[in-house]
Amino acid sequence: MYKDQVYSIAHYFFHGDSGIAADITQHVFLKLINNVNQFHGDAEFSTWLYRLVVNVCLDATRRHKSEPIAANSNLEAFARPGSQEQDYAKAQAAHIVRKAVSALPVKYRMAILLRYFEGLSYEQMAQALGCSLGTVASRLSRGHRILAERLKGFEGGKL
Amino acid sequence: MRIFNRHVSDRLAAYVEGAIDANLVRRHLAQCERCRAEYADVQKGMAALENLPVVEAPASVWNSIESVLDAPKRPTFNPWKFGFALSSAVIVASFAYWIVMRSGAPWDVDGLSGSPVVGTRHISRAGRVAPGEWIETDARSSARIKIGHIGSVVLAPNTRARVVATRPQENRIALAHGEIHAEISAPPRLFFVDTASGTAVDLGCEYSLYAEEDGSGLMRVTRGWVSFQRNGRESLVPAGASCRTRTHAGPGTPYFDDASDILKRALDTFDETSSLDALGAILSASRVRDTLTLWHLLSRVSAADRGRVYDRIAVLTPVPAGVSRDRVLSLDRETLTRWKDELAWTW
Repeated sequence: MYKDQVYSIAHYFFHGDSGIAADITQHVFLKLINNVNQFHGDAEFSTWLYRLVVNVCLDATRRHKSEPIAANSNLEAFARPGSQEQDYAKAQAAHIVRKAVSALPVKYRMAILLRYFEGLSYEQMAQALGCSLGTVASRLSRGHRILAERLKGFEGGKL
Repeated sequence: MRIFNRHVSDRLAAYVEGAIDANLVRRHLAQCERCRAEYADVQKGMAALENLPVVEAPASVWNSIESVLDAPKRPTFNPWKFGFALSSAVIVASFAYWIVMRSGAPWDVDGLSGSPVVGTRHISRAGRVAPGEWIETDARSSARIKIGHIGSVVLAPNTRARVVATRPQENRIALAHGEIHAEISAPPRLFFVDTASGTAVDLGCEYSLYAEEDGSGLMRVTRGWVSFQRNGRESLVPAGASCRTRTHAGPGTPYFDDASDILKRALDTFDETSSLDALGAILSASRVRDTLTLWHLLSRVSAADRGRVYDRIAVLTPVPAGVSRDRVLSLDRETLTRWKDELAWTW
């Protein structure tokens, strides 16, 4: 149920690198399965899962700090098989936005991905990120402003 | 009126999404061109994200998870061997379960420096500490305890602690004296540290806790939240804040580390003596962020002084809908929680 969401976060967090996204997803679910006895009803399951996602992504960021991550510049990666001109335009838009998201500082990037891919509430995000509600709100606001700045010419958020 | 002149840049995303009380932001936007421009940018940033599709995880991801879980491969099936192995496993598992549920499994310990002692054993590099056992560091040693799968605790030099429980849903140590640094990544309320003056309850966090033998000490939170409790008195301490503890009084009133020295000194005095002069100094030295301290004081001052605290918070930040002076002064629990949740945006 959560597999694609976790994979998507890792995919966009790591510049569209599908190899790292697959590793992260595998790591998260193995950790989850091995530690599931630690989970009980006090927190929502999704909050716990996304805290794992945050930790695994940040650990991997530290690991990959010295290694350049190959950004996936292949637009076809976003286009579905058999897509025509319109689909290609969509893929191109996704590619441009993904590049802008990938270039965000880590703390803003993670906040935006958690909010807009997983639809976590501000409270859930605060728990997953280990920060206050005010910090969540501030990271989202700043992240979006940086994104808008980098996407100037991308009128109304659409190509 | 001063509050409406403060820029609302950091609240714009929450405003667009309807996650906060909109009146304050709306009134500010009506009069501030800079924030209106930023508001438009936040909307553009949000709209741009609609172009990003969810990416399907390749089937190979799930296959690789399954293959890790399946390994090692099962041996050829033999019903007699299987029956014997199963009976043995049930007996061993039942015994192990009984042991673990009664007290818990031992935790791994790494000696970080010197030669920490577990029970009567010296540990040079690695060892284990079981429930009921003491672990102690001297002036030249330090150690890290691995708290199951949920995190770790570093014992600084000159620290003595006892492992109380290592059950899946209760991981607990008792800090007799010294300093620990805890880093926990787990659902809230799985990890507890008892001191003579209260219990620190992890709400998903990273923090340091120093305690003297009489229980007096200091907690400093660097990530997430910690609840410090004793006999129904609770201090909620967020990242960037600290909380003193006292032998007989238990958890003190939390404060942000960047609060003014005047506020910190006055708070110390107030927590010790309930001095009205100190309360006055706290109120006048408070900033918006110090509503963390003021909110806790609401239930710690006398009924006669509660109105002063309420009024100061109301000057620093607008009182949200559903929070009334009467209900706050009567310490209505639901109202206080509602107000805290709203104030927490500034903490």
